Amino acid sequence: MGVINVTAGSQAILTLGNTEPLAVPGATNSLVVPLMQDVTVSAAPGTVRYSTLDSSSSSAFTTVNENEVSFNMLLDEAVFFGNAALTNNSVAELGLLTTSINKTEIFFSVAFEGADSTDNYIKGKGFIGGLAPTASIDQAVWISPGTIIVNGELTKATV
Amino acid sequence: MAIRDDLITGLTTRLASSSVSVSTELPFVSGDIPLYQKNMKKVYLDEQQVGITEVYNTLDRGDVSQTETIVNAYLCVDAKNSLTDIATIINTIQSERTQLTDNNQFIREVDLTTDFVDDKIVYTFEYRFIAI
Repeated sequence: MGVINVTAGSQAILTLGNTEPLAVPGATNSLVVPLMQDVTVSAAPGTVRYSTLDSSSSSAFTTVNENEVSFNMLLDEAVFFGNAALTNNSVAELGLLTTSINKTEIFFSVAFEGADSTDNYIKGKGFIGGLAPTASIDQAVWISPGTIIVNGELTKATV
Repeated sequence: MAIRDDLITGLTTRLASSSVSVSTELPFVSGDIPLYQKNMKKVYLDEQQVGITEVYNTLDRGDVSQTETIVNAYLCVDAKNSLTDIATIINTIQSERTQLTDNNQFIREVDLTTDFVDDKIVYTFEYRFIAI
């Protein structure tokens, strides 16, 4: 038991791939999104509330989960615009921007403890969205938020 | 090349036809008197002070830092008989901040303060450059 400390710089890792094996943390040819300032995994079950005449409090039942991964990053040229040499992983080859524009479904994982054996991570598949690069002379580097709109469930796994 | 060296090179060229010159020496204190007070009508630039601060921290330690460089320049002249071209000299020293060949500095500022020491006036210019 204990907190998961991410200060070493190798714990919180967002990995992308056009296939599920390519999105495993530490996998060969996987695309690790660099320079992330923060990452948030959101797993929110939908709910419906209803009232009955015999209760003074409302009741609820759940509907479907709405899952999302959001992050903020400093833009890395090769990751954002793609690297044509990385033909083993189309997400790395085309980059985040083109993959988002093409609305291509991708696989992802969010590592919590790094990419070593038995480290826990969350995985799923979805679509890249929410890219909104901004730059100003005050911040002096390109920054962008990003979102993975999850298609289906988030599942936990270990490396 | 260090910013101080760039400033000395630029000022030496642009002040060549003025009433003052530029020294490459540091403005050390000799006999309790700073060199710029001893050698009036000479611009002295102090050693540059450099501070590095992190602007953005990232989860993979690919942090982005900014470098702030401060250089003080000193010019001492007779307060009783002011130089006829002192306004031009001051303007030239201040505008030198935009002449640096390294264009990574997105903030280029200079402050001017004046002090009287006996019958002399000391102009102190504080250049401040910030680059990512």
